[in-house]
Amino acid sequence: MEAHTPYQHEALLYRGTADFLHHAVPFIRDGLEAGEPVLVVTAQTRIGALRAELGGDAAQVEFADMARAGSNPARIIPLWRDFIDRERTNGRRLRGIGEPIWAERSPAELAECQWHESLLNLAIDPATPMWLLCPYDASALDHDVIEEAYRSHPMVTEGDHTRESGAFRGRGGSVAPFTTPLPAPPPGTRRFAFGPGDLATVRGMVAAFAAQAGLDPRRNDELVAAAHEVATNSVRHGGGRGELRWWRDDRSVICDFADGGRIHDPLVGRERPLTGSAGGRGLWLANQMCDLVQIRTMPTGTVVRVHKKL
Amino acid sequence: MSLLRGAASGEQPMAGWLEGESMYADRQLVIRHTIPTNGLSFAGTIDVMNADQVAAALIAQLGEGQPLHLELSRVEFSDVSGIRAFVLAAESASERSRIVLHGLPALLQRVMTVVGWADLPGLEICSCGAE
Repeated sequence: MEAHTPYQHEALLYRGTADFLHHAVPFIRDGLEAGEPVLVVTAQTRIGALRAELGGDAAQVEFADMARAGSNPARIIPLWRDFIDRERTNGRRLRGIGEPIWAERSPAELAECQWHESLLNLAIDPATPMWLLCPYDASALDHDVIEEAYRSHPMVTEGDHTRESGAFRGRGGSVAPFTTPLPAPPPGTRRFAFGPGDLATVRGMVAAFAAQAGLDPRRNDELVAAAHEVATNSVRHGGGRGELRWWRDDRSVICDFADGGRIHDPLVGRERPLTGSAGGRGLWLANQMCDLVQIRTMPTGTVVRVHKKL
Repeated sequence: MSLLRGAASGEQPMAGWLEGESMYADRQLVIRHTIPTNGLSFAGTIDVMNADQVAAALIAQLGEGQPLHLELSRVEFSDVSGIRAFVLAAESASERSRIVLHGLPALLQRVMTVVGWADLPGLEICSCGAE
């Protein structure tokens, strides 16, 4: 049963900062008392509140600002895996608090945070002794966000009760968001069909559009580097060709690459490349160069949509 | 033949070297021998379309006991597979030879760091990289 494995992925539904502290502080203190390493990744304001409550004990806790470390949610799983690799010794348990979702996340960021949460059921081996608490502010988030938390977590704590989630998709069902189509681009969005000889043209089109939208040269180069890697994947793995669509919204320049291929690894782009020359790195690079990389794959084909904030 | 331009400030062992004959050329890239002979200058694009050929050309140039200097300030674009060509060549460099990257564009240096290739034995990044 998922609820009784060494790896515990648990949602914490709280209402406001005081309630957050009421749960998080004992969770942290119990861990420190047991000699368990603790990593807390959340908003800077909540880190500040925790530091104030923990006092001197805060020095034993590792903190990271989710708005920086996890602004692109695809960078969060590598963070947890690095923590596990670094701190895991002698079977002692690890504790983590990871809060990726807050009310100000854009719709696309929210979708990726929710997919990340589901992927946490697959990315970490059930035999890993880690208790990962995922806080959700039920007083600030929409009801459907809370409902999705029930679907992506085997265990949910609300008030002083922790119980198995009746709505959990299960490990097997956790891949479902990966195969769900993205929202369509705006009507009239320009498109360009590309093949192996068109990569320079793809780069030029992305660079020109991004410059016109106001993206500065350094960030433009980063977007172009990522766009090239995604287009190359279509050419090499996606049937030799693809279709680029590009548009902007109020926050970002967006480039969407569709091809007829299929991606089989839901963790693609989230695994830190090994040293040595082997192994793909294109989607890992895209996740480091872009603010959001949305990957969806279906029997009809694959879409990779990259966002770069203006 | 023409003089190689030095890149920005810093150690510039390739400034003043002469650019010699073409060693490799395709539709998007020209690699020329240099004088002194343990160098190559690149102009154009290295990507998935030619990375394998570039790797093979580099490996063929590696000499025993001396470094191979690559002048890269006229690389317009390189993708991950292009950088991999340098990594593959560095992997086949013997203990006494190494590959030194000169004039490496800042974006490529960042890409190498991000994908885990900034700290490899046999591959050195000269501080004369572009700003």
